[in-house]
Amino acid sequence: MSAWQTRFGLGFRREFTRYWSIKRQTILTPLLETYLYISVFGAALGSRVGELEGVPYITFILPGLVMMAFALNAFENNASSLFQQRFMRAIEDQLASPLHNLELLGAYTLGGFVRGAIIAGVTLFTAGFLVGLPVADPLLLLWSFASIGLFFALFGVLVGVFAEAFDNISLYRSFVLQPLIFIGGVFYSAELLPEPWQTVAHFNPVFYMINSVRHGFLGYSDVNPYLSLGVVTGGVLVLFAVVYWIFRKGYKLRF
Amino acid sequence: MDALAISGLVKQYRKGPEALKGVDLTVGKGEFFGLLGPNGAGKSTMIHCITGLAVPTAGEIKVFGKDAVKQYQQARQAVGLSPQEVMSLDWFLTVEETLDYHGGYYGMPRQRRERRIKELLKAFSLEDKRKASVRALSGGMRRRLVIARALMHKPKLLILDEPTAGVDVELRLELWHYMKRVNRAGTTILLTTHYIEEAEQLASRIALINQGQIVEQGTVRELKRKFKKKTLEDVYLSVVGREELGRNGAKAGVASKPGTAGAFK
Repeated sequence: MSAWQTRFGLGFRREFTRYWSIKRQTILTPLLETYLYISVFGAALGSRVGELEGVPYITFILPGLVMMAFALNAFENNASSLFQQRFMRAIEDQLASPLHNLELLGAYTLGGFVRGAIIAGVTLFTAGFLVGLPVADPLLLLWSFASIGLFFALFGVLVGVFAEAFDNISLYRSFVLQPLIFIGGVFYSAELLPEPWQTVAHFNPVFYMINSVRHGFLGYSDVNPYLSLGVVTGGVLVLFAVVYWIFRKGYKLRF
Repeated sequence: MDALAISGLVKQYRKGPEALKGVDLTVGKGEFFGLLGPNGAGKSTMIHCITGLAVPTAGEIKVFGKDAVKQYQQARQAVGLSPQEVMSLDWFLTVEETLDYHGGYYGMPRQRRERRIKELLKAFSLEDKRKASVRALSGGMRRRLVIARALMHKPKLLILDEPTAGVDVELRLELWHYMKRVNRAGTTILLTTHYIEEAEQLASRIALINQGQIVEQGTVRELKRKFKKKTLEDVYLSVVGREELGRNGAKAGVASKPGTAGAFK
């Protein structure tokens, strides 16, 4: 193992150890939350709704719920972890070390990404087993999940750098992310929306994320799935450039 | 080659004061160097600039010939930092993990880390706390762990930022012995402290810093001669402009007259 691999690997392991040591809060609680959404909206409400776009309602919403679990957990992990490390000044051990800015950013990003992936993966495995979720386009699906996970992990890092207090993080989650995810079409197709909301939905980046995942599973999308993938991948690149620049400058990290 | 060469170092905080105003300082290889100064003099800022925790506004810092900004990875590889604040340990980790991850950030392979952890836990009497959470440690144990962590990757330059602040006499003496041993083994040490006797006991050379500038530097004898004082404490008080608090001042009754400008300026 080369020196950079050791540095990056241990940086990631520290992050993994952190949330694994409090897994009841960081893994089990979000899993329970996702299962509650599935039971309430899928099983209870779904029996009344019947089918949407030719598939049972629960099957229609499941891709969006899995994406939501991935996104929110990747975000929340990195935002709270980085803020905590800054607040406790424990991050100074990493900042004073030879860790390259890219290795440090990569370790945090991967940490949140993996936590999101664990929760999304367990949800997908169990719900998919119970409901029987098809996979229409596996490659596009993998790319979509990877991009979405990275996007929200990086967004979490960004918020973790800027946050001045713990409630800033829950503020972002409750007032920015969750509304964007909910109106992005997790529980419905955007085609059902009246104008001008149908047009407005196209300005929400989460709309494209949900559609690329939904296309990957069901082969159905409100927009061209490759446009969705382009928007999400572009978002990741822009966000990465911004966060890396902040790490290089040391803004809010170094005095 | 010098262990540390600082020239024209300026640090201007955003929306804050100019903490360092053109500092020049050289620490020779193998030296035990003391940095003395009052609160807010710029000691910690200087350390932050050397270790990369702060971005210098101007000037140059070289650690064993490597530029601390342009060649930060090589420069930081040579430095071990024991920060002033023991609360800055990661509370989610155990004692062993704290040392292990630190070694990892410096690119140490697993087997070397394992060997080094054993050595340090023994040297700092932390063997039975190996699996204990950092949260569960007493203040003295956290202090030991912070110093052990700084030594984990066998740095060539060890920076100790007030390492004995708030520790009992027993641990202070224990740490003094350990620092001397580390220095004798060839590690250069830069020590900042508020305790005059600590600097006098340990440091071969001392720099006095006040208001972001190095006021004077030299051996204890040189400093006493230069300031025409009998003790290092009097030299220090003279530098920070509080001579009335010194033994001569107290004898003259200056410090015992509260309310006078001399006593509480």
